[in-house]
Amino acid sequence: MRVDSRLARRSVMIALLVGAIYPARAQNSSEDRSSDLILPEVDEAKLTAQQTAMRQLVGEERYVLRESSWGGEIASGKVKLVQAQLFKRNDYRFWLAVPDRRAIVSLSIYDGRGEQVEAQIETGDSTNVSSLAISPEQTGVYYLRIALHGELALTQRWSLIYAYR
Amino acid sequence: MNARLCFSSFVLVGLISTVSAQQAPKHIDLSDANLRVVESTVIPIPLEIFASLDKLGTQDWAKQVKAREIKLDANRSRTAMLFGLVVSDGFIAVQAQDKEAVRRVGREVLRLSTSLGVVDSVEQHANAIVSAAGVGNWSVCRKELDKTRQTVLKKMSEIRDEELVGLVSLGGWLGGTEALAAVLKQNYSVEGSDLLNQPDLVKELRKEFDSLSARSKRGKVFAQITRTLEHLESLMRTDARGVISEGKVIEISLSTNNLVAAIYES
Repeated sequence: MRVDSRLARRSVMIALLVGAIYPARAQNSSEDRSSDLILPEVDEAKLTAQQTAMRQLVGEERYVLRESSWGGEIASGKVKLVQAQLFKRNDYRFWLAVPDRRAIVSLSIYDGRGEQVEAQIETGDSTNVSSLAISPEQTGVYYLRIALHGELALTQRWSLIYAYR
Repeated sequence: MNARLCFSSFVLVGLISTVSAQQAPKHIDLSDANLRVVESTVIPIPLEIFASLDKLGTQDWAKQVKAREIKLDANRSRTAMLFGLVVSDGFIAVQAQDKEAVRRVGREVLRLSTSLGVVDSVEQHANAIVSAAGVGNWSVCRKELDKTRQTVLKKMSEIRDEELVGLVSLGGWLGGTEALAAVLKQNYSVEGSDLLNQPDLVKELRKEFDSLSARSKRGKVFAQITRTLEHLESLMRTDARGVISEGKVIEISLSTNNLVAAIYES
């Protein structure tokens, strides 16, 4: 039983790693303008989010992770909104991550009128990842508010993934 | 053992907290131009919606499994829509646990992705769908269908077929909505019809569709898409009681069914 569980976790981990690697076009250098080489590139933010999500993707009460995700760049002190259509009776869990472990991210959720909706927020052992669980009382559009805190000089790449059950 | 359990529980409780006012504002003004809303829309997959409906009771998904003939032509926009529709057929077949239908979808996925020029990226997923369906491994089928859809979207972005990306998503959403509305029409309930409350999502889909170039919308069926999306946006809105009426559900079912048929037959 324990071996099965370990195997399941390992399979999930491998699948997640593959999902976070995406081919990216190499930057064309001035020496080789015709280069159109496809190089694998790891989305560290997405990988971090997926690693944190792993625990929730196994077992009897597991969530089903969606392949689609949101992502972009965010500067410290800035806020962004992500729109998501959620369905009543489902449970959802979102994971927000940026690669820099010194970063502090926060995640909250609002309904279509801009009112904050109660949700369970979970932070791991590192402040660069935040998770939010919600069981929406209504079907409709919700807004996830993403914020980056802390005194980071560089803009951070962020990734928001989600799963349902 | 008990001490470890208590400690783990303590850590878990410490890590979990309910959202409080000090972390985020209680209200945000969605009309505030300074608020940056991320443009990309993630379209829910049919299984996500079906999962909610199944919590109200067992549904007859087998009735929604259809074996439609696909005649391909040179119109890549139509092929992209068909690709989205076929993947949604796959999700419906998974929900109905219909092995033969899932395998058929796997084969159609290969044919359509060949036509779209992305077969190399999709092949392993399509084969995995066919193999998993053979042994009734539905969770693998579901995962591989979602991966297929995502891989095609990613691949098309890479080869700068951005306009087709939106059409694949639109096709997938349309197929899932057609099945959902048909099930709700057969077995209407106020609770279940709530799942069709998606006007903002339709608005986003319509906005994206309207922004496509005229070249990507060549053909009679694309004018019908514009009209149907406009119609659906008003139908998929709850009334003053917060309900989508049975009449509206029937109309949504008819509209989506007509559009899907037109895409297959055009």
